[in-house]
Amino acid sequence: MNPTSTNERKVIITGIGGQGIVFLTRLFSQTALDLGLGVVVSETHGMSQRGGSVISHLKINGSDAPLIQRGSADVMIAMDPGEAMQNLDFMRRGGTVFVNSAEGLHESLAPHLERLDIRVLNHPATATAVELGSPAAANIVLAGFVAAFFILGLPYENMIQTLKQISKKGSEKNLQAINAGFEAGQKINEEKLKHKGHEAHTGKEGNQVVSVSPS
Amino acid sequence: MYSMSELPMPTQLITGNEAIALGMVEQGCRVVTAYPGTPSSEILAGVIKYKKRLSRDVYTEWSVNEKVAFEVALAASWTGLRAAVAMKQVGLNVASDPLFSAAYTGVKGGFVIIPADDPGPHSSQTEQDSRLLALTAKVPVFDPSTPAEAREMIKDAFALSERYRIPVIVRPTTRLCHAVSPNEVDESAPDEKIPSVKFQKDPVHWTATPKLRFKLHTELNQKLSDITAEFSKSKYNETIDANINGAIGIIASGVAFHTAQQALTELGARVPMLKIGTPFPLPLSLIENFCASVKTVVVLEEPDTCIELQIADRNNVKGRLDGAVPNAGELTPEVMFSVLHKIFAHAGIQVNAAPEDNELSAFIKTLSLPVRRPRLCPGCSHRSAFYAMKRTFGPRAIYPGDIGCYTLGTNLRAVDTFVDMGASITMANGFFQANRLANDERVIMATIGDSTFLHSGIPPLINAVHTGARFVLLILDNHTTAMTGFQPTAANDYLADGSEAPRKVSIPDLVRACGVEYLKVTDPYEQEDFADILKDAQAHAQSPSGGVAVVIADRPCVLYDKEPILENPLPVIITEECDGCRFCTEAFECPALVLRADGSRVDIDYTICVDCGQCIDACHKGFIVPKIAEMVG
Ligand code: SF4
Ligand code: SF4
Repeated sequence: MNPTSTNERKVIITGIGGQGIVFLTRLFSQTALDLGLGVVVSETHGMSQRGGSVISHLKINGSDAPLIQRGSADVMIAMDPGEAMQNLDFMRRGGTVFVNSAEGLHESLAPHLERLDIRVLNHPATATAVELGSPAAANIVLAGFVAAFFILGLPYENMIQTLKQISKKGSEKNLQAINAGFEAGQKINEEKLKHKGHEAHTGKEGNQVVSVSPS
Repeated sequence: MYSMSELPMPTQLITGNEAIALGMVEQGCRVVTAYPGTPSSEILAGVIKYKKRLSRDVYTEWSVNEKVAFEVALAASWTGLRAAVAMKQVGLNVASDPLFSAAYTGVKGGFVIIPADDPGPHSSQTEQDSRLLALTAKVPVFDPSTPAEAREMIKDAFALSERYRIPVIVRPTTRLCHAVSPNEVDESAPDEKIPSVKFQKDPVHWTATPKLRFKLHTELNQKLSDITAEFSKSKYNETIDANINGAIGIIASGVAFHTAQQALTELGARVPMLKIGTPFPLPLSLIENFCASVKTVVVLEEPDTCIELQIADRNNVKGRLDGAVPNAGELTPEVMFSVLHKIFAHAGIQVNAAPEDNELSAFIKTLSLPVRRPRLCPGCSHRSAFYAMKRTFGPRAIYPGDIGCYTLGTNLRAVDTFVDMGASITMANGFFQANRLANDERVIMATIGDSTFLHSGIPPLINAVHTGARFVLLILDNHTTAMTGFQPTAANDYLADGSEAPRKVSIPDLVRACGVEYLKVTDPYEQEDFADILKDAQAHAQSPSGGVAVVIADRPCVLYDKEPILENPLPVIITEECDGCRFCTEAFECPALVLRADGSRVDIDYTICVDCGQCIDACHKGFIVPKIAEMVG
């Protein structure tokens, strides 16, 4: 899809309190706003931010209802595989799950993912961030990874613009982080393009060709 | 009223709370007070942000509690300035005394009250509906459905308040407060001159005697009936798709209106809707006409029934009262869908099935995924205090708790009760008297945070001292209001806007002034000493001449002030010997202590560990050790 499309995109962004879910949500929503798209977000505040489950609902070009109904999310971005699985029933048929994990989701889910045509794209963002020496930037690594697939219609360059704009401290480290995630995503894209596969992959191997190429 | 410039104003993503704040600042509100509480906490911070950006002169304060906040703002209104007060819904209970009185006395400058409701509830002890309190107090209410509408309603609320000299409530809910959406922010609009008002004595209103109060009551009733007429023409009460000849019609207010519209889209249905933005006083003529125009009416509102309750003839009305809508809880998209689905099915109307895949939902439940309950942060000083307390007095002691991050002490079984702000002390007081009668000699040890103590702890402490209650009161002083986002308290040396406080109030001095004879201030990170002091305090409480013994656990919140840990880190490791017995993960529950998936041992998650070293004592087998010690052998 192209960035000025009026198509609605419903995105669930989830993780555990302290993983920077609110920041991650701001990164995507501000980018969408700057592209002239409509944005409505519902954030989690209060008690849950103390290590509990945290979930943001992001609607790009969507309605004014703050929450997404289960079974209708196009995309999920999960900082924690447990939370990804817990919230998996938010996904619509044919949706895409991005998850911070080396292994993807629990293998017993594969038949369901296949049945519902939900694809899972995973990257160990925390490990990458630790390698970069900025463990707190795992959320930004994941953002870069997501951007590589262009499913939200938010170009990577615009994401970088926003990142520069909204992160005050450690911006150099943050740019490294988003770049590392983006490259990891690109690699998956390239590998799959080599295989030229358009097979309906789903499930745990978590490396699915996307039908759109990055801008 | 402000710049009508053709240039597009910069659009910013702001929260619902910030939209409310922006509304206040741009409407020339001059005094805004608040006490923090989820979901309302970011309103005052928003006012401070926009008063700086828009260069407006606004007095802001984090008041010591909601009653204080209400009255400080009310006084400003009585001088003729526009004023507002914000709080969470249960905060309005604390401020209900002045609320009821001010409805009678009336106001002068526009006076707007923002009590944020919490359907769910997500972060509150009740799901109470502030609109019902408004109805009882006889104060008009606006019920916004989006942040932008809330901002618009603030403007109309000030105007209404001034026209009728009446306090006005704008009531947001959690989902609106925490929604983020684009808003145009005009930072170049010039400030209007602060009106040159002066407080004018007005005994008929400001010091009304009971006889005059009766007259004020009749006046108030007259105001409400005039406002009802005005509301029946309000743009906030709007009929949508009226021409659809439906068997079903929906009356909805607040966020529930948009959730209902979304559900209709999913259902593939369209029906006439009456959107109500002024639930009290309710323009009943609109309601009656709407009810007469369709066969069945569904009322959708949160968190309780305010509109539905005011409809006298509920013959064809479905809602929370007749059970068509659940009588508690948030109207989430799923609840909304299923409510409407049932009603359509009952009317024999064909609609879409829920998009959710039930098979997947059921399967997820079988995965026994970890339940992430909220926990105290890694390095939180409350954990150290609770751990020492539990080790010293064991599971038999009675632990009345209070409202704040430390309510999470329930996880550690260090909090046995919580009722409302300040109740730890009064409950301890009551337990002492009841136990005395029942010859129950268990240790009673209450915990309360610094902000909560200042909010509502002082009269209870005076009461306990004066009546000779004996228990230990542990004040967990972490130097901030942590739970709601680190707002300063009266014990801090700075104010809401970051400026220096002319004076700070000393908690130890307050405790002494309440007549407490035993007071020790100590660092809970020094767990051994801390436990000794707790024992000593308990001995004092029990001694023949004893009374309430107060211990202040003095250690800043690690999120608020990282300095002490950065200056004195104590990195730890868990040795090879760890056998995964789970004692530390359960009794100490630091989120950085993580049991391996196979249960074989516990590891430290160094991405979140803050090197506080507090868990060393949490392994009774001595497998958690300082990193240094391990390195030298
Ligand atoms: S915010 Fe502070 S007081 Fe609250 S749990 Fe975290 S460390 Fe403890
Ligand atoms: S040192 Fe221990 S108690 Fe402190 S944060 Fe790390 S794991 Fe938690």
